[in-house]
Amino acid sequence: MIPMVQVVFSPKWFWGKDIFIDSIALVVLLSIAIFATNFYRVKKSKNYLYLALSFYLIALSFFSKMLINFTIYYQVLHTRMIGSIEYSQVILKSSEILAVSGLFLYRLFTLLGFFMLYSIYEKQSKANIILVIYFTIISIFFSKEEYYIFYLTCLIFLGVISNRYYQNYRKNRKKTSGMLAASFSVIALSQIFFMFVKFTKHFYVVGEGIQLIGYILLLVTFITVLKHGREKDKSRHH
Amino acid sequence: MEGKRTRVGIIEDMLSSIISKGGRIKPTHLMYKSNMAHGQMKAYLDDLVQKELVKEVKEGNYGYVIITDKGHEFVQKLKQMREFEKAFGL
Repeated sequence: MIPMVQVVFSPKWFWGKDIFIDSIALVVLLSIAIFATNFYRVKKSKNYLYLALSFYLIALSFFSKMLINFTIYYQVLHTRMIGSIEYSQVILKSSEILAVSGLFLYRLFTLLGFFMLYSIYEKQSKANIILVIYFTIISIFFSKEEYYIFYLTCLIFLGVISNRYYQNYRKNRKKTSGMLAASFSVIALSQIFFMFVKFTKHFYVVGEGIQLIGYILLLVTFITVLKHGREKDKSRHH
Repeated sequence: MEGKRTRVGIIEDMLSSIISKGGRIKPTHLMYKSNMAHGQMKAYLDDLVQKELVKEVKEGNYGYVIITDKGHEFVQKLKQMREFEKAFGL
């Protein structure tokens, strides 16, 4: 038995594996955010600050999701083992409160993170920021009933961001820019599968798999960027 | 046309100039190579010495500016930043 509001999208055999996949995304996002923070300290450029903040927000959203899933999976399995009906009801009620509030935070952090990332490239007026935050909260509110609205919003944000990175690649023809565009496109693609989880939970597994590929590609991109900057100069150790 | 150099840009030019001369350079050469006025370079040089990115040594009658390991690491960090900026289109 799972809580009334749809929180668990994963088929049971995939429980735990999805948390592991999300933890990889969390590590990738945090690594980039920490480097961007360090770069901001050197250069004091606002773009670095916003990039760091957006990656921290998306990382925080993954952390919330992992926490919800871990709590629910653990409690459902634990409740089954104990087998008391009254105890189960109490546990599941508290799970639902946690899940609903956690899910709200997960969605809020995700969309705010994507919006902040998008805003680095498309400068926003104050009125625009207020409007987008309003629509973001509205979409989260409606996602409670129709979960796919959240993934659709993510898809739109990620599509726009991927396109921006692709335009950057076309301009500078750098391998790392192309890889970055590809990684965000793959993450965007995963949202399409999440949208159709209603039909079969296997779409969730496919979505998580594609998302994992996207984040691994993002990690490879990031490592390549750092490696290019690490080319040793000849005067060293003379 | 290139815009006005930022503070980080000037420091990078100074450190890169030292590296291009094998890791040590005379202060006057550094001034010409990094395209700076004497007073401006002195202020930047004092700052770099204080941050231990370079050190000033005297050999015979000549003074030299030498880049430290910390200075090399800082230059690499700046290169990484540039790569990062290009990749992310910042």
